[in-house]
Amino acid sequence: MPEATDLIETFDARVERRTERREFFRTFAGATAIAGGLFLSHAPVAYGQTAAPTDADILNFALNLEYLEAQFYVFAATGSGLPNSMLTGTGTQGAVVGGRRVNFTDPVVAQYAQEIANDEVAHVNFLREQLGSSRVAQPAIDVGGTDPNGAFSTAARAAGLIGPGQNFDPYANDENFLLGAYIFEDVGVTAYKGAAPLITSKVFLEAAAGILAVEAYHAGLIRTVLYGKGIATPAPQLIEATEKISDARDSLDGPTDIDQGVRNRPAASNLITGVASNIAPLDENGLAYSRSAGQTLNIVYLNRMAVSRGGFFPNGVNGNIRTSAAN
Amino acid sequence: MIDEQTIIDALDARVSRRTKRREFFRIAGTSATALAGTSLLAACFGDDNKRRNGDIGVGPGPAPSPMPSPTPSPSAINDADILNFALNLEYLEAQFYVFAATGSGLPASKLTGTGTQGAVIGGRRVNFTDPIVAAYANEIAGDEIVHVDFLRAQLGASAVAQPAIDVGGTDPNGAFSSAARAAGLVGPGVAFDPYANDENFLLGAFIFEDVGVTAYKGAAPLIASKTFLEAAAGILAAEAYHAGLIRTVLYRKGIQTPSLRTSADRISDARDSLDGPTDLDQGISPVGNASNIVPTDANGLAFSRTTGQVLNIAYLNRMAVTRGGFFPAGVNGRINMSAAN
Repeated sequence: MPEATDLIETFDARVERRTERREFFRTFAGATAIAGGLFLSHAPVAYGQTAAPTDADILNFALNLEYLEAQFYVFAATGSGLPNSMLTGTGTQGAVVGGRRVNFTDPVVAQYAQEIANDEVAHVNFLREQLGSSRVAQPAIDVGGTDPNGAFSTAARAAGLIGPGQNFDPYANDENFLLGAYIFEDVGVTAYKGAAPLITSKVFLEAAAGILAVEAYHAGLIRTVLYGKGIATPAPQLIEATEKISDARDSLDGPTDIDQGVRNRPAASNLITGVASNIAPLDENGLAYSRSAGQTLNIVYLNRMAVSRGGFFPNGVNGNIRTSAAN
Repeated sequence: MIDEQTIIDALDARVSRRTKRREFFRIAGTSATALAGTSLLAACFGDDNKRRNGDIGVGPGPAPSPMPSPTPSPSAINDADILNFALNLEYLEAQFYVFAATGSGLPASKLTGTGTQGAVIGGRRVNFTDPIVAAYANEIAGDEIVHVDFLRAQLGASAVAQPAIDVGGTDPNGAFSSAARAAGLVGPGVAFDPYANDENFLLGAFIFEDVGVTAYKGAAPLIASKTFLEAAAGILAAEAYHAGLIRTVLYRKGIQTPSLRTSADRISDARDSLDGPTDLDQGISPVGNASNIVPTDANGLAFSRTTGQVLNIAYLNRMAVTRGGFFPAGVNGRINMSAAN
């Protein structure tokens, strides 16, 4: 983004990683400031000057994301949202602008939706169980498909998939469902990867690695299906849509390109000269990307500035980590 | 990790997870101790869960007794040992995919290092029928090559050489054929050639992919450096993307060719038969009205394997050995022994 273009040329991978971590802490500091009635998001806090987020803060941050994913997939697969017993906790519990059951044409896509819904429900249950009484309540969530100003429509418009005043309904058909899923999946991978080094408990770290892996399996699934349908049907607009959504995410989370669609790209090594797909979005070392908590919130709030609500979380996420990064 | 006791003390009451980790340290510690020249404490290799379950015939073994926590040891494994262990696996994956995609193996410049460099029993370029599968092979081959490059660069002078590797497709007693036979895909004296066609290539890839995920997940809590941890998490994610890809394609093609789903299920069962009594592996056939692209536990988490369990699969041996299967002379580095199951 313009405010930080001076960083692009100078940061190598290691500095970048350190910056992300610094940014994560800064975001956490911003949350503290807000709790204290101040707004200091434009006054960066130097690395090491503020307390690190606790493991509970990080797991609660993840729980917010799992609420979001679970609601989307459960609505798509069943037509209903999560039961209220799975939504209670600290902070303000919010309502869900829900979706509807997708009338799937391809039964295999319906099976995928059910599988991912099952996994995301398990993630919500697991994190709530681990956090016990400190778990956050589900915040207000918007996964609706009918409001032209709703989160999915806003995201799809930012990606150029729909025009002004139009709505994007991820429950309308198989393809829209897959693109709706695509909006979330890679973000989960990068969020868990970015958080991994910040977790102090080895037990929680291994659990987070387990969820990270599952999100990457999901993402691999969704990307493989979009790619396959894009080429075989053929429906090249599906492949182009993944690039557009990826670009939209990249426009929100800062100047570094940490997102890729599924369009064919040169293979990672020049020893491979044939046509290569791009199911796995990786850097030049073959590693998945990381996002700080602030960058992750840029995407789910659909806002590249430092804010504490918006997009898929109209009232913000619950917990101590809640402010997006200033990009 | 340096202080095993500290880590173990930090664990919560999840017994199975603690057991697994104890097993990791036991294996790693024993392997290092053995290399240091002292005797190999075979009695320490047992897994208390196994004996409790009593569902695997490893012989009588020592009587069950309270399992003491391992003693911190100056020769405990370090991050370089773990990264070198991973490098062995990346050599294996890279050779398979590069042969399938190009017909050649990795260049010699990527194979040097400490330990004994070994030869590759190689494969051949797959004559892909489906150009999409060819594109997948090219993508994964590229990723695995740069994983080798990345780990070698991180390890520098301490990078291990590529050990002897068998990714051939013609020998009925080769690693792929042995694995496929254990899964019931081929009969006695019959070779399994993962380079023969699209379907065999996908099944060959399936043999490896989930194992890489569980290996990196199992190793993640053992890595001391935050930088290496984040890098390992990045490779973990890449392997899970790959595994998701391969499983999704097998699942979809399995509609037209049902044997692809059943073969994947059998390979999963074969892996499970090697790595101990706990079910750490799942095929792809549907469960109720859901697919099973993602192998997860009841909490929706991917599984973990210890290094010993990973080597059970790579060596195609459920006992504690130091070579076999895809690594005919064993892996290079201090972590080189499979678990006793």
